[in-house]
Amino acid sequence: MEEQASVLDVIDAGTVLTHLQAHDKAEVLSMMADSLEEAGYLQDKEIYLQDVYQRESEGVTGIGGYIAIPHGKSAGVRKIGVSIAVLDEEIPWESLDGQGVKGIILFAVGNDDRGARSHLKLLSLFARKLGREEVVHDLLAADSAADVRKAFMN
Amino acid sequence: MNIVGISACTVGIAHTYIAQEKIEAAAKKAGDTVKIETQGTIGVENALTAEEIASADIVLLAVDVKVSGEERFAGKKIVRVPTQMAIKSPNKLIAKLHELAAS
Repeated sequence: MEEQASVLDVIDAGTVLTHLQAHDKAEVLSMMADSLEEAGYLQDKEIYLQDVYQRESEGVTGIGGYIAIPHGKSAGVRKIGVSIAVLDEEIPWESLDGQGVKGIILFAVGNDDRGARSHLKLLSLFARKLGREEVVHDLLAADSAADVRKAFMN
Repeated sequence: MNIVGISACTVGIAHTYIAQEKIEAAAKKAGDTVKIETQGTIGVENALTAEEIASADIVLLAVDVKVSGEERFAGKKIVRVPTQMAIKSPNKLIAKLHELAAS
């Protein structure tokens, strides 16, 4: 129970976007990066997005089951954070199962991780949850940030 | 069957841990004992002990990058796959390990 409470700390209601209307990856990533910037997670949004796209170019981030996990380890990040988007409509995304995505989890991690160990640990436990079918199922059905939190209690 | 392994991806933030979860869940479902060490941005976690390695029937390396401590598996049967295979088809992967361990 204690572990779950701390994993949930990774989720910031200010960076959770449910019922998002977007048409493609670029639009979604831009909106998600905006939310991270507004909530104070980014130092430089442009540099951060460049690093996210760099990672996108290196390999598929759609993990199947309508979920994508784009991420950037970047000098543009001020503090470790996550933005979560749940879309009303599937959008195209390079994925392991050839399907598009509806749930996107965008990770932001700085280049210098010293002193951020406990946050990184939480982030790894959070990422691990994305390997669970129940979590993904409930996430894709989430109507609100509260629902998203509930999904990660699975 | 007794499986040990390592998961590690390029950035070490996301795929590493999703692969760990999927492998462990699939192995448990198949009735196996399993432990996956992660080598990510945070460093090594869930580190394998010498005893765990010694008693393993097979070693699974779900890795996209060079990992440290591979010499610990000298003399063991080792299967190496990219993390995305573990994430995409964990049950198939575990079935394959059973096949290989028996051969």
